[in-house]
Order: sequence, then C-alpha cells, then structure tokens
Amino acid sequence: MAKLLEVRNITKRFGGIVAVNNVSFHMEEGEVLGLMGPNGSGKTTMFNLLMRTYKQDSGEIYFRGKEISKYPTHQRVKLGMARTYQIPRTFHEMNIIDNIHISTRPDQVGKLMGIREFTEKERELATGVGLEDHMFKYPHELTMGDLRRLELAKVLAHNPKIGLLDEIFAGLTLKEINEISDLIRHKREEGLDFIIVSHDLRALAPLVDRVVVISFGEYIAEGPYEEIVNHKKVQEAYFGY
Amino acid sequence: MANYLAVFAMSWDILSGYTGYVSFGHPFIIGVASYATAIMTGRMGYPLYASLPIATATGVGAGMLFFLPGLRLRGNYFCLITLAFMIVAHSLVIAVRPDITGGTKGIPGLPLVVTGAEPNFYLSLGLVLGIGFFLWYIGRSDLGRIFNAIRMDEDIISTAGLNSFKYKLLAFTFSALFASIGAVFYTHYIGTVSPSSVFAVTFLINIIVAALIGGQNTILGSIMGAYFITYLLEYLRPFELFAGPQRFLLYGCIALGIYIYNTRGFYGIAQDIAKAIKRKRGKSEQYGQVTGST
Repeated sequence: MAKLLEVRNITKRFGGIVAVNNVSFHMEEGEVLGLMGPNGSGKTTMFNLLMRTYKQDSGEIYFRGKEISKYPTHQRVKLGMARTYQIPRTFHEMNIIDNIHISTRPDQVGKLMGIREFTEKERELATGVGLEDHMFKYPHELTMGDLRRLELAKVLAHNPKIGLLDEIFAGLTLKEINEISDLIRHKREEGLDFIIVSHDLRALAPLVDRVVVISFGEYIAEGPYEEIVNHKKVQEAYFGY
Repeated sequence: MANYLAVFAMSWDILSGYTGYVSFGHPFIIGVASYATAIMTGRMGYPLYASLPIATATGVGAGMLFFLPGLRLRGNYFCLITLAFMIVAHSLVIAVRPDITGGTKGIPGLPLVVTGAEPNFYLSLGLVLGIGFFLWYIGRSDLGRIFNAIRMDEDIISTAGLNSFKYKLLAFTFSALFASIGAVFYTHYIGTVSPSSVFAVTFLINIIVAALIGGQNTILGSIMGAYFITYLLEYLRPFELFAGPQRFLLYGCIALGIYIYNTRGFYGIAQDIAKAIKRKRGKSEQYGQVTGST
C-alpha cells in the first residue's frame, strides 16, 4: 500500500516548551489510524501541525508523496485533508445548513456572488450525519452529539481523502458513540481514511487498524491496538508503572 | 450631507460590520482621496472628470499600502494601527509641503461637480442608491456570508477550505473603493478640503455611530443611521441650549440610548416592529377563523 500521509521528524516548540519533539509516523492508503496519548501529550498539537494551524519548527509533512510542509490550511483542505475540532467550532450566528454551506463553497470569488438558500448537496450532508431535523436550528440549540455530527458533515463537505477527527467521542452518550462509529465505518467503506484522536479507548479500538502513541510530545510506539495497549512504554505513559 | 455620511458609513460597514475588523482609519482613506482630487484640480489644473477616477484609485491604493500589513493583525491592534494612520496623515498634510496641501487652512475654491442644492441632492442620492444596492447584494450573497463568517471565527474559514486573507482583502477593497468614491464627490460638493474636516476624530465618530445605530452588518441600517444623525444635528442647531459642544453631548446620549435599547439599531427595531405586526395579524386571522367557525 502507498503512503497517504507521512510525518518526518516534526518538532514544535512554544517558547521553552517542546510540545512535539522529533516525531515521525505515517499512514497507508485505506487505513484508519488512531493517535493516542495521555492528556497534554501533543495529539491536538499534531493535528494543528498537520493542518498548518501551527507552523512546525522543523520536519516535513508529505501527503500522497508530495511535500506540503509550507502549504497553508486552505490548500491542504483542497488537496484532500479535513479536520474536526476537539471543542466543536461553528459560525454561531448561522444555522446548521449555512454552517455546512460555508464548507461546500469554492474558493473562487466569481462563484460566490450568487444569492441562494440551500442546495441538495447540503441537505444530503445534513441527512447523512443525522441532522435532518436540525437543519434550521442554531449551534447553541444542539446537543454535543449533534455538534459532533455537524463537525463531521463539514469534513465530508470537502469530499476529503483523509479526515482528522479530534476527540470525536468526547461528551457523547453510548448511543451517540455507536451512531458516530457506524458513520465512520460507513464512510471508510466509501474510501475515506481517518486519523482519530480519542481518550475513549473502547470506542477507538474497534475502528482503527493501527495506533501511534505519543507522550510528552515524544513518539513512544506504534502497532495494532491490542499489541500497543500491552506495550510497556505505553502502560508507563498512561499509568506511570 | 446625510447621503455622503451614508456612503461613508456603508463603506465602513462592509469591512468592520461584516468581517469584524473595526477600522478607525476610515477618514485616512477618505482624506487621501479628497486631498488627491483637491491637489489635482486646485493646484495642478487637472480637469475635474479626470481627477475623479484618479483620486479614487489613489485613495484605494494608499489604503492598500497602509492597511495591508494591518490586515495581518486582529482585534484591538488592527483598530489602533488604523487610527495611527489617520493621526499621522493629519500631521503630515499640515507639516509637509503646506504650499501644496494648504497646511491647516486646506485647499478652498475647488470646482463643483454640479451646482445647486437639488442637483447635488440627486447626485448624492444616486451614489447612495447605487453603492447601497451593490453592498446590500454583496451582503446577501455567499461572499457576504463569508465576510460574516470571518467575524464569527476566522480560523475555521481556512478549515472550510477558504483563503481568509483573500476575503478580508476583498472586503477592505470594497470598503476603500466606496469610501474613496464618496470622498471625491463630497470634496467637489463642498468645494474645499482641510485637515480638520477629513482627518478628524469627530468625523470618524459620525461614520461609526451612523453604522452602529443604523444597524451594524446590514448596509441599509447605515443609511438610516446617517440620515438620523444628520437631521438630529441640524435640528438641534437653532436651540441656544445646544449651540456648542452640548449638541454633540445630547447626540451622543441619544445614540447610546438607541444602541442600548437594541444593539441592532434602527434596522433591528424596524425588524422587531415588522415581526410584531406579522404576529398580530397572524393572531387576528386565527381569531377570525375561530369565530367564523362557531
């Protein structure tokens, strides 16, 4: 299998704090990768580096063999990368369908001059993630589960090759976790690959082919989930023994 | 005057009301365009109709040159840097080459586009309607949605696959273009330009207050706000009690009162009234149906 995404020796410092230290990993085409680590291990920082929310101090990122280290966020999205946020981020004065609509817009001024209500594509996206009854509600009227669905709909709006899901199960009920998991499986069958960050290891385990573990910004281990949870260094990182 | 204030307020609103980049330097763009056309027609002997487009382009160009680095900043820092441009420009036109700029006195005796109150009113009304319709349309289009989205959360604009800098720059270009157009026609309406008339804090406040009490982020509200301010100030003028700065004190209190009553200004108040009438009509129709059936 070809490498879909590759991170080589990436480092990010915030003043004197090294948030990510010389980390390398890759994911294959058709793979779902879990990114694990205790609180403050640098998982979200890694997502922010992958999407260029932060600029790395050193190291390179490759997407489908092409170096994208200097590409700004919107160009990475156009290449086929899209993300969700740990705390869902929405346009709070816009209803759900308009929030999705923004993510479907082409980055071309000439194509943005029209006045419209909403399109079939947006309705399908909302329905696809189970938001069909909430399309004209505002983000503050949604439950956390529905906000996570909205985040997913915005990712799917780009028709990406890889979706970066940051704590997608946080704050959800068991029923909601099962529904989101089914959605991820369904999208995987359609050819979408994911990197998933989650503290909920029971939810994460059945979805991923492989996991990469980082702790205090350092790469610790990678491999199938069952092997990794019994890995000595991983247990040390999580439990301290 | 109300029409020109409306043009300036609308051009401020498309940048600051929509994208949330609050500009305190709007008079800088207006001033550069005004001085450009004044110098060309009053000092260099350019024909009026040649100077209008050149001065407009100068206003937009100067705005770009100075504000582009500013668009890399956010929030209060953007406000301050734009305010600094206005203050520096005020000092520069007084101190540098007063033989050209006219120093503190400015440049009087400029040619007029049209003469007489009525033709001037219709000219300025045409500008308000033309610019107002264009900006209102932009505000309702997807482009307007993106400008609004920048105000709500600029970071996730990039995550949505859109180049936020491009759209900020576009909003700024619209803003600078229409402010400059307003400026050149205004200059040739009053026939004079001076540092205290364009690079002035009171002028800046009038623009911002017109946009805010009219209804930020609505375009149409800016027109309402501009008319209200102009007529209020003119109405108060004959009263001895409000002869001096007291006029502005009362104007400030009224503006504040309106803004406190409804942060969406006149536009919001008008919307609320329309909704209330609709509700009332709905109820009376419902009542009619019920009584009709019994």
